[in-house]
Amino acid sequence: MVNSAHSEHMHRKPCIWTEADLKGCSDMELEASGVTVRFGGIRAVENVSLRFGIHEIVGLIGPNGAGKTTLVNALSGFQKPRSGRICLAGKDVTGWRSDALARHGVARTFQAVRLFRGLTVAENIETALLSTGLARSAARARARDILGYLHLSNRADTLASGLNYGDERRVGIARALAMEPKFLLLDEPAAGLNIGEAEELGQTIASIRDDFGCGILVIEHNMALVMKLCERLHVLATGMTLATGTPTEVMADPAFKDAYLGAET
Amino acid sequence: MTRQDTSANETTWQLMSWERLERLVPLLILVAVVAGIMLLASQFGIVQQRRVTLGFISLISVVGLYVFMGNSGVLNFSSVGFMAIGAYVSALLTMRPQVKATFLRDLPDWLAAAQFDPITGALAGGAAAALVALVVGLPIMRLSGIGAGIATLSILIIFYIVLGNWTGVTGGQRSLMGLPTYVTIWNAGLAAIGAIVLAFVYQESRSCLALRASREDEVAARSAGVRVVRERLTAFVLGAFICGIAGVFYGHFLGTLRVENFYLDPTFLYITMLVVGGMRSLTGAVVGVIVISTLAELLRLLEIGGRLPALDVTLKAPAGLGDVVLAALMLGIILFRPQGITGGREITLRGMRG
Repeated sequence: MVNSAHSEHMHRKPCIWTEADLKGCSDMELEASGVTVRFGGIRAVENVSLRFGIHEIVGLIGPNGAGKTTLVNALSGFQKPRSGRICLAGKDVTGWRSDALARHGVARTFQAVRLFRGLTVAENIETALLSTGLARSAARARARDILGYLHLSNRADTLASGLNYGDERRVGIARALAMEPKFLLLDEPAAGLNIGEAEELGQTIASIRDDFGCGILVIEHNMALVMKLCERLHVLATGMTLATGTPTEVMADPAFKDAYLGAET
Repeated sequence: MTRQDTSANETTWQLMSWERLERLVPLLILVAVVAGIMLLASQFGIVQQRRVTLGFISLISVVGLYVFMGNSGVLNFSSVGFMAIGAYVSALLTMRPQVKATFLRDLPDWLAAAQFDPITGALAGGAAAALVALVVGLPIMRLSGIGAGIATLSILIIFYIVLGNWTGVTGGQRSLMGLPTYVTIWNAGLAAIGAIVLAFVYQESRSCLALRASREDEVAARSAGVRVVRERLTAFVLGAFICGIAGVFYGHFLGTLRVENFYLDPTFLYITMLVVGGMRSLTGAVVGVIVISTLAELLRLLEIGGRLPALDVTLKAPAGLGDVVLAALMLGIILFRPQGITGGREITLRGMRG
């Protein structure tokens, strides 16, 4: 089930987009351009442009309340931007419903995981698979494959409400993977995990990119994980883009040091 | 293929068919229970048979309510309104033209002169309820929680007002009499079994799995590609069809239709049945109807009063006791066992299944 052929095309080379690049997105990209989201008078996200391609892992970082989740909500159709565009594989998808975007290759996880707690783990995965159009028997088999991939085989028939925290997070990722995403948006996947678990998760995320050939945007506070995992970082602060670039470049950026590390420590 | 491979394949095949069979166990048990009640009651007198027949009609309606409310988790007060639509449509199609001429002088000529057989009338009643559900469901299926409760209650009120004032077609506030009374314990029991089968087949469908996912978490369901409004609408229409059939049986059981019979009292009775049994499973719907019907019947007999010859005492409960006990039972379930008697699980040979 794993498409390892993609790993050969893997681009580890970091690429930094300039404003001029952000005019239109190619077949292999998910893009937010000039996106603004306001809640009442509060600017949650202000004129943010970000794009990433398949086979790429991009970190979306910033202090709490910087607008990271709002941006992911906008990219996945859960939040309609007040202005700006969302572009998927060369197509303007601004205003698309979240379920339609999910079926077209933009899958996400949630900070609060949000499993279907009254359903079994296998059913959680099958729900996603069925909405991609698989037949029931095919979905059942594929669900076993995906659960096996994430070392959750022995949990298949457990009710999702009975999972421990780490398994719960992995099932959340499994459910997103079941959508056969071209773009995977992970909202704080390592939150609440210990160092060892977070490291293991980092390896899983990297192998997902290689095996499924999707682009991954990951919101994460664990800087060690971010530095190791991401080829490129996008830093938000108070809803605006503060810095972009490779992890090393961003860490060296004085604006980043002030706003982010300064605020955190 | 080697011999080993063949035997391995056979084992897999056997396992799969056993698994498939195992999935049917809840259905088989529920059908057996209803059939058992039907056969048992047929040995009793006509009065008892009529009580059980009425119970079967409640069962059809509660199964219809379960199909939408149980699987979607969205509150629905409108199911009895769809019963009314089924009942009136079937009445208009199956009553004798002479009877219609007496009670409904303003019917269009073709309808006044027509008389269809009971099955056509029943299917048309169910179909009409489903069609109306499709139209009213479109705008309200995006609601959940208290919004859905208010919207569906509004629909019930609108149906009630319209049916109660559309004098030319429904007889309005007067009773509509002279429906052919073809309902027996046998056809009502079979219809109840049919409703259970229909609900079970739906429950095993991919559409229903998606709907159940949206019940657990609507936002996450959308992220898993579920078209929440569409899946809800499917269940709403199917549920309305089943409720419409329940209404058809109700009308032809009593032989008389009054709009009051399709308003708040039965609405809350059916919701109580579903909640007490456990609204997340078909077993819950069936158990709720059996428990509440039996209890209501006992309390009704107690209210009428009677003498226990063995103890030489006369029992007579104050009027209204039945309603109070049912309300208290509902309260107790919600407080202490919110998933109902069945805990929202289906019955299996080993007990209850998640």
